[in-house]
Amino acid sequence: MTHSILNYLYQAAAAVRTSLADRTNFVLQMAGMTLNNGFFLLLWFMFFKGFHRVGGWSGTDVALLLGVMMTIVGVAGVAFGGYRDMAATILSGELDALLTQPKSVLGRILSRDSMANAWGDLFTGILVLVGFAGLRASQAPLLALVTAVGLTVYLSITVMFGSLAFWIRGARSLSRDLADFTIMVSSYPGSIFTGPSRWIIFTLLPAGFIVLTPVRMLREPGLATLALLAAAVAAYVALAAGVFRLGLARYRRGSTPVMGH
Amino acid sequence: MRSMHPAIPEPSARAGAPALNALRNLLATARMGAAGTLAGWPVLLGRGGFYVVAMFILAQLWDKVAAERVPGALALPAGGLVVYVGVTEWIMMSTPAIHLRLEDDIRSGALETHLLRPKLYLTQKIAETIGGLVARSGAIAIAAAGLFALSGRAGPAAPAWAAIVVLALGAGVVIVLMYALAGLSAFWIRRTLPIYLIVQKLLFLMGGLFAPVSFYPRWLARLCEASPFAAALYWPGVQVLTPSAPLFRRALELQLLWIVLLSVLAALVWRAGLRKVLRQGV
Repeated sequence: MTHSILNYLYQAAAAVRTSLADRTNFVLQMAGMTLNNGFFLLLWFMFFKGFHRVGGWSGTDVALLLGVMMTIVGVAGVAFGGYRDMAATILSGELDALLTQPKSVLGRILSRDSMANAWGDLFTGILVLVGFAGLRASQAPLLALVTAVGLTVYLSITVMFGSLAFWIRGARSLSRDLADFTIMVSSYPGSIFTGPSRWIIFTLLPAGFIVLTPVRMLREPGLATLALLAAAVAAYVALAAGVFRLGLARYRRGSTPVMGH
Repeated sequence: MRSMHPAIPEPSARAGAPALNALRNLLATARMGAAGTLAGWPVLLGRGGFYVVAMFILAQLWDKVAAERVPGALALPAGGLVVYVGVTEWIMMSTPAIHLRLEDDIRSGALETHLLRPKLYLTQKIAETIGGLVARSGAIAIAAAGLFALSGRAGPAAPAWAAIVVLALGAGVVIVLMYALAGLSAFWIRRTLPIYLIVQKLLFLMGGLFAPVSFYPRWLARLCEASPFAAALYWPGVQVLTPSAPLFRRALELQLLWIVLLSVLAALVWRAGLRKVLRQGV
C-alpha cells in the first residue's frame, strides 16, 4: 500500500514538473483560470448585491462553498489531472500501453497529467477561503479534512463519468460535461435543493457530499455529519473502483468503442 | 462497356458558380455533422436529461429568490425568470465543443493532413459543428418543451416562440464562432481550457445566462447589450419577457453583425496560427 502511494506520488510529481516546464504556457494557463474564477465570483457578488439572500444563505456562506469547491478542483487538477481526459485516454486506446505495466492502471491514468490551469483554481480557492469565507485559523485542520473528503468523492464520481468511455463512443464530451455539471451544481447554495433535486445531489451528481455536507461540517461540526461523510467516501470509492474494473474487463475483451466526440 | 457509376455526374455537370459550390459543400458538411450527432443518440438523450436536471436546479434557485422577497432586493418580472433561463440554458447546452476538436487537431499535428486537401479546414469544421448544433438544439428543445408543458408556467405567445427559435440558432452560430476562436488559441497555448472557460464565464456574466443584463447598472447593461455575449443569450432570452417585433429585429441585426465580425476575426487568427505552424511547427 505504502509502495503504491509512493509510486503514485513520484508519477504525479513528474507530471507536475512537466506542466511547469513550459513557463509561459504555465503562467498563461494559471492566469486564465484565475481570471475565469474572478468572473464567476463577480457573478455571485452581483447576485447577492441584487438579491441579498437565498434560502438563508448569505454571500459569506457561498464564498465558503466556492472556496472549498475551487480548492478541491485545484488539487484534483494538479495531483490527479488525468481524470479530466480519462474518457479520451480510453477511447484512443492509450490504455494498451498501461495494461502491460505492473502498476495500477487507474493510478497511472490519474497521475499521467497535471493541469497547469488547476493552480489558478487552487490559488483562487485559498484566497476566497482566507479572505471571504469567515473562517478562523483554528478551523484549518477541519478544513483540510473536509476538503480531502470532498476531493475523494469528486474524483470517484469523475472516474465513473470517465469510465462511460468503456461503453459509449461519445463519452469524451459527455464525461467532461458531467464533471463540469457536477462542479456547477456544487456552486449553488444548498438551501435551493429540495425534493427530487436533493436526491440528485446526494447520488448522481454528489454535490451534497463534495461540498454541501463538508461546509455544514465546518459550520456545525458533529459526529453524525462526520460519520455520514465517511460512509459517502467509502461508498463512492467502492463504486468508482467497481465501475472502472468492469469497464477495464470490457476493454481487455476489445469491446470498447473507438474515439469520437 | 457501360459505366459502373452512373449516379456520379461528370465534373462539368457539377460545376456551378464557385460560391454556390462552396455553399453546397458546406451544407453537405453540416448535414454530416448533424447526422454524426444524431447517430450518438445516447449522448443526446443524456444531454436532454442534463437540461432537465439543470432546469430543476435553476428553477428552484429563482423560485426561492422570488419567494423570499428580501427588503431592498431587486424586483423580479411577473412570472419570474425561469422561462428566460430555460431559453438561455437551451442555447448554451446546444452548442458543441468545437474548441476541443480544434485543440486536438492542432496539438496532435493532425491538422497537417487536412491542409493538403482542397477544402478549407476551418470552415469545414465550423460547418460540421453547426450541423451538430442544429441536431443538438432539436433534441434539447424536445426535452425543454416537455418540461415547460409539465411545469405549468406561463410563457409568451406562439409568434414569440418562433422568434426565439430563429434567434437561438443565430445565437448558436455566435457561440460556435467564439468557441472556435478559443480553440484556435491552441496554436499558441497548450490547453484551450482556460480561454474557453473565460469565454464561457463572459457568456454567463455579460450574456445574462442566469438573469437578464437589464438587471445590471445602466452603464454596464448597455455595454453588455452591445456585446456578442448578449447577442448569444440575452437577446433571444428577453423575447420571453418582453416579446416585440422591434426587439426581434434589433436582436437579429446584432447577431448578424457579430457573426460577420467574429468570422473575420476567426479567419485572421487562423491565418496567423497557420503561419506560425508552417514556420516553426506546433
